[in-house]
Amino acid sequence: MKWMQFFTPAKSLDFNEAENYIAQHPGEQITILDVRQPSEYQDSHIPGAVLIPLPQLSDRLGELDPEKPTLVY
Amino acid sequence: MLAGKGFKHVYNVSGGIKAWHAKTAIGPQDLGMTLFSGKESPLDVLTVAYSLEQGLQEFYVTMEQEAKNAAVKDLFAKLSEIEVKHQMSIYTAYCDISDTQLSKEAFEKTVEVKALEGGLSTREYLELFNPDLTSETDVISLAMSIEAQALDLYQRVSFKIENQASREIINKIANEEKVHLASLAKLMDSL
Repeated sequence: MKWMQFFTPAKSLDFNEAENYIAQHPGEQITILDVRQPSEYQDSHIPGAVLIPLPQLSDRLGELDPEKPTLVY
Repeated sequence: MLAGKGFKHVYNVSGGIKAWHAKTAIGPQDLGMTLFSGKESPLDVLTVAYSLEQGLQEFYVTMEQEAKNAAVKDLFAKLSEIEVKHQMSIYTAYCDISDTQLSKEAFEKTVEVKALEGGLSTREYLELFNPDLTSETDVISLAMSIEAQALDLYQRVSFKIENQASREIINKIANEEKVHLASLAKLMDSL
């Protein structure tokens, strides 16, 4: 996924920075988006993460709030 | 993709989830969701949340009785006391918005314990995390895993709850779970 940063204006955070970001923001003010496959989500995910596997993302964007900061992994 | 679709602040989290140090949650996205129908009033939400805290508190009491190691016994007693405080805070929130003032005992009679915090049963938690119940570190790690599951469940449920006031209560409880998790991390660091 690293190549994406060169083609989109999205910033990159490592998991350490993401942990701090999530700790500093109430859960309802941010979206944590897990774009991996359901089996990976089931094994382990960031608490509160919404699962939308990458192949479904373009069809399901309406489920997310574009106004909220969105952390994608 | 998101940035091109009007999402204002998008962050790519790099490095893979193995780099995540805090507790993760496990299970499918609908885990524990049957505990909430989505139609709950604020009072209903607090009653379900109380039942989950109650389930966990009873679990810690049972574990305290079963533990052989004195330090672990004390630790379970401490964890159980923490849950009593969480229950008290939910009961107080209930009294603040309820028209009829119920005593704590009368309120508890309306509460049906179906699961622990996070929506799993005692046996399921023990099987999933398989803690060494003679180790203080493992016991706190188990407690942290349960709090992480609870945080995860409340945040997932908040998408399902239709009533705005109920959703705000769920979000508040979820944020409190974050604080609980941080307190347990401090407790772990103090060992």
